[in-house]
Amino acid sequence: MQRRAFLHNLAAVGAISCMPIFIQRSLAADGGAVSVDQLPKLEGDITLYLGRGEGGLYENVLEAIRKRNPKLNLKIRRGATAALANSIVAEAKAGVRRADVFWAVDSGAIGLVSDAGLARPLPADLTSQLKPGFQYPQWAPVTGRIRTLPYNTDRLTPEQIPESVMALADSDLSIGWAPAYASFQSFITAMRLLEGEKATEAWLRGVSRQATNYAGELGVVMAVERGEVDLGFANHYYTLRLKNGKPNAKVDLAFTKNDAGCLVNASGILALSDGDLPINFIRYLLTKEVQAYLASEAYEIPLANGVKPPQGLPALDTISPPKVDLTQLADLRPTLNLMRRVGVL
Amino acid sequence: MQSLKRLRKNRGLGLVFGLFALVAAGQVSANGAIGDHVNDLKGHLGQYSEEVTWLIGKYDGVVDTYEAQGQKAVETQQLVDFWEEVDFHSAIETNYVPVYANIWQGIYGIKQAIEAGKPVDEVRAEQEKLNSAFWQALGAVKLASQFQEKGLLAKIQTTESEPTTMPETLDDIKHRLDRVVAKYAEQLPEAATTIVHDTYLNRFEGVEGALIEQDAALVEDLEKDFNVTLPQALDGKASVDDVRKVVEAMQAKLDRAKSLLLEAEKKRKDVF
Repeated sequence: MQRRAFLHNLAAVGAISCMPIFIQRSLAADGGAVSVDQLPKLEGDITLYLGRGEGGLYENVLEAIRKRNPKLNLKIRRGATAALANSIVAEAKAGVRRADVFWAVDSGAIGLVSDAGLARPLPADLTSQLKPGFQYPQWAPVTGRIRTLPYNTDRLTPEQIPESVMALADSDLSIGWAPAYASFQSFITAMRLLEGEKATEAWLRGVSRQATNYAGELGVVMAVERGEVDLGFANHYYTLRLKNGKPNAKVDLAFTKNDAGCLVNASGILALSDGDLPINFIRYLLTKEVQAYLASEAYEIPLANGVKPPQGLPALDTISPPKVDLTQLADLRPTLNLMRRVGVL
Repeated sequence: MQSLKRLRKNRGLGLVFGLFALVAAGQVSANGAIGDHVNDLKGHLGQYSEEVTWLIGKYDGVVDTYEAQGQKAVETQQLVDFWEEVDFHSAIETNYVPVYANIWQGIYGIKQAIEAGKPVDEVRAEQEKLNSAFWQALGAVKLASQFQEKGLLAKIQTTESEPTTMPETLDDIKHRLDRVVAKYAEQLPEAATTIVHDTYLNRFEGVEGALIEQDAALVEDLEKDFNVTLPQALDGKASVDDVRKVVEAMQAKLDRAKSLLLEAEKKRKDVF
């Protein structure tokens, strides 16, 4: 075991041993999501930096935590995720720490902060509540979103859609995409990391010949549904929400296999200050209740064990997302340079 | 130099009380361009009244010169400079953006009429519109001062604040669209287009997922408005009135969106 990992585990054991026995038992039980009833009450001052999230639903979660913990003085600073990550790093360089926890809408921003050495280690009993592949020593993914291929059900059958995202560059399908959209850029970053710069450049050139640009990914999904294009690239929740609002919508989801086309990205949270309060605050976000709420209301994928995915989405273990260290998705600059060079941005 | 000064004066958002319903604040750039006077409107009403009278006199003087001595005797840039000089500028900009836009529209109405060598009657007609906008603006600031005195207006903010709920986000979008008209009236179409794109990506994107569950056709309409109709209006030779019509139609749709989301929120399950 590497010294760093050993120290981390030691710290985790230390953290959990400070807690009352009944909490230790309930939290370390079986690595599944715990109920909020099993958590200690939150008391004291805590400042959260909250990256812009899914409408007001993250706010609903925070308000519910506040109501349940009247002795908690939760202060929130809101902003664009990347800007907050930069603020945290800049504040640290200036010898200031204003945030105790950082909840970011994408894991790239988490990577920026943890790479700066600012994230505190999380106890193992907390990270073990998360699904395999989503257990990180210094941050906790909260909910996930998967890259999908929404396709028009009048124009295509699932069999006509390649299982490899790379094959789409050589297909004759018409494609909708939103290159300026942050999730699309994370997807291209994952492709760059998995397939290399050259293959990604060739893919971008190939797809751009048959692609129509849209401003956002809901726009992509709606264009697919209207039949403007055969299929598109988009996060899963847009299609699920469209189908909920328009049950006869002519759109369904396809998934590629083990490549960037089915990348699961995540929102995530990390602790920036020591002590039980930031860690226990993070525990609230991983409870069955919060995970189920975000799944049913925001159509996000719960990443704590044992919580059902949103309706209309296959279980995560039936999809084969690629193995990517999500925090590496922070390395956006080479992606943007590549996209500009190819002329898609 | 002048355009640089004007761009620097992009003072962001403040409070709006469209139809005098109070709405939460947006952002204001912290460059110090807005004086503290905007947080004490009542204490400065006398100054604002004087400034309005001064402005009306100045514009009248320019039009008089045009009438008496012709186009060459008039330096039309002065028309912009007068408006840039007064504190009343930020008082209305931070309180009632729709009238702020009318003022710019009126200033450029006079400026372009003079530069085109139009008959003085046409220039006077533009001047009348501007004068009406000034008086309407002064009335709006007086009303705002009453709200402010009663503590019903939040202090003008100097850092960005984020709307925290979907209805707040929709109000913020409406306010930003008012600024699109204002920037277009100010002859800054690129700044107006940038506001549209930012508003779409940083605001509308956050609510359209929830909205599409309520009314997919409405989202489709607004998507088209944000990405086609409004940018095209700003890109072409549309008049300020035409841009305002597009914006008002969008704002009506956003009102409908807000009522749908408020209803949906009532049915939403509890977290715990």
